[in-house]
Amino acid sequence: MPLDSSSYSLAQFSTQAAADGSSYLEMGQTKIICTVNGPQESKRGGGSRDQSNAARIETDISIAGFSGVDRKRHGRGDKRTQEMQHTVSSAFSSTLFTHLFPHSTIAIAIHVLSQDGSLLAACLNAATLALVDAGVPMSDYVVACTTGSTASYASNDEEADPLLDLNGLEEQELPFLTVGTSGGEDKVNVLIMETRVQMGRLEAMISVGLDGCKQIRGILDDIVREHGKKALNSRVN
Amino acid sequence: MPSEPAPSTNEREFILAALRENTRLDGRALDAYRPISLTFGNDYGTADVRLGKTRVLAKISCEVATPYPDRKFDGIFTITTELSPLASPAFEVGRQDTPELLLSRLLEKTIRRSGALDTESLCLVAGQKCFHLRATLHVLDADGNLVDASCLALIAALLHFRRPDIEVHGEDVTVFDPREREPVCLTIQHRPFCVSFSYYHAGEVMVQDATLLEEQCREGEVVVSMNRFGEVAQVAKYGGPPVDGLSVLGCMSAALERVKGFDKMVTEKLKEDEKRRDAGGLMAELSAENERPVEGGDRVML
Repeated sequence: MPLDSSSYSLAQFSTQAAADGSSYLEMGQTKIICTVNGPQESKRGGGSRDQSNAARIETDISIAGFSGVDRKRHGRGDKRTQEMQHTVSSAFSSTLFTHLFPHSTIAIAIHVLSQDGSLLAACLNAATLALVDAGVPMSDYVVACTTGSTASYASNDEEADPLLDLNGLEEQELPFLTVGTSGGEDKVNVLIMETRVQMGRLEAMISVGLDGCKQIRGILDDIVREHGKKALNSRVN
Repeated sequence: MPSEPAPSTNEREFILAALRENTRLDGRALDAYRPISLTFGNDYGTADVRLGKTRVLAKISCEVATPYPDRKFDGIFTITTELSPLASPAFEVGRQDTPELLLSRLLEKTIRRSGALDTESLCLVAGQKCFHLRATLHVLDADGNLVDASCLALIAALLHFRRPDIEVHGEDVTVFDPREREPVCLTIQHRPFCVSFSYYHAGEVMVQDATLLEEQCREGEVVVSMNRFGEVAQVAKYGGPPVDGLSVLGCMSAALERVKGFDKMVTEKLKEDEKRRDAGGLMAELSAENERPVEGGDRVML
């Protein structure tokens, strides 16, 4: 099933002038602004105490009250959000060359403007773009997407293909997982599943997810190269 | 922020080199657990799990409360995790840091979100009264693999717990004291257990039940929760170096074997505990339940 690449056409670079790197990403109705600051001296606790020999990645996700179907305040202390922050931070810890920046922090701030499924995947993709824009050296993109299983176990329909890139309604109804890759075609970097599903279905779901990641990777790569060309041209002229 | 002292470079190198040769410091196989002991307290709903030096105590309690307005037909079930300085100098009182956050989220996803406990059965009068079931986890000693030990303790405690019997007439609810009527079991729909895998050398070496030292040296972890029927309740791999898709699937089948063992152990221990309590066949006398026809026998239609 090909991904609808038009839904990604709204991925933009350098949307926020104040930040070192920024991006705006739409995956369907999920809309995200991501800004990256750093590598810079740690703000928290003063730089002198930070004796680590690699940069720390700090992620902050704020979900706007108007982003969902019903208006809801999402506090910073929300455990689900904190878990996502941790996931984003540790997903990038292995691909960014943090060892080049000792005693410093790379701050990723993600603002969710509208959510309609695949939230974690969109956060990871947006953060990748923003980190590229910020010029943080990395070994590979982190790209992620969601897959859902349609056939229920009871119907025993093993033939049914898993769904790729779910929206909010699909996420509510179907068992789904978020898979993120980096550094190779079937290398799993992030894998989060929170819904009950039969073990036998996971293999198909993961492989479809990895395939989807490959497609998204292509899309993100095109955007990065396009932006690079533009930047080069503006220098030349 | 206090933290566990990191292992020295020599120590780390030694552990990693040994793991490359499929050897662990304590001589276990890579997929072997430390000896597990599960004991129940005198009260219903307390379970004490020891996994090597790791020790976790789970306690279930319940009280009558008002249900949430948006969930009128459901009881309330909360899981609280307490990582106190008792377990390790790295834990502070009242401060939520990443290990505690991840532990509580994983348990939440494994047990609550997967619907292990039937919360509808905790409802007394729709929209007015329900049971509020609290599960509190105390980590008494932390020597790695807190997630598996906590999940095991929690499931065992839930299965062991008895809530007070009740009688509902219209909107009047009578909650019976345990001395008046024998308390009743909770409705547990399935028993999910967590199995965590720590990986080393870019996912080439997968280790089950890592000790604290091994956890400090690992590259990342994969936590799988499933029940003995192979229904996966939750999978979590939060970043870390990427591993092969196939080795993640390998984790699943390894987890299934492990979970079957956990399930069997919990069933056996519960049976033992029941026998211990049932001195002189007292339980049969106390039970308020009607006798059910034996399976395979003639069914009595009501």
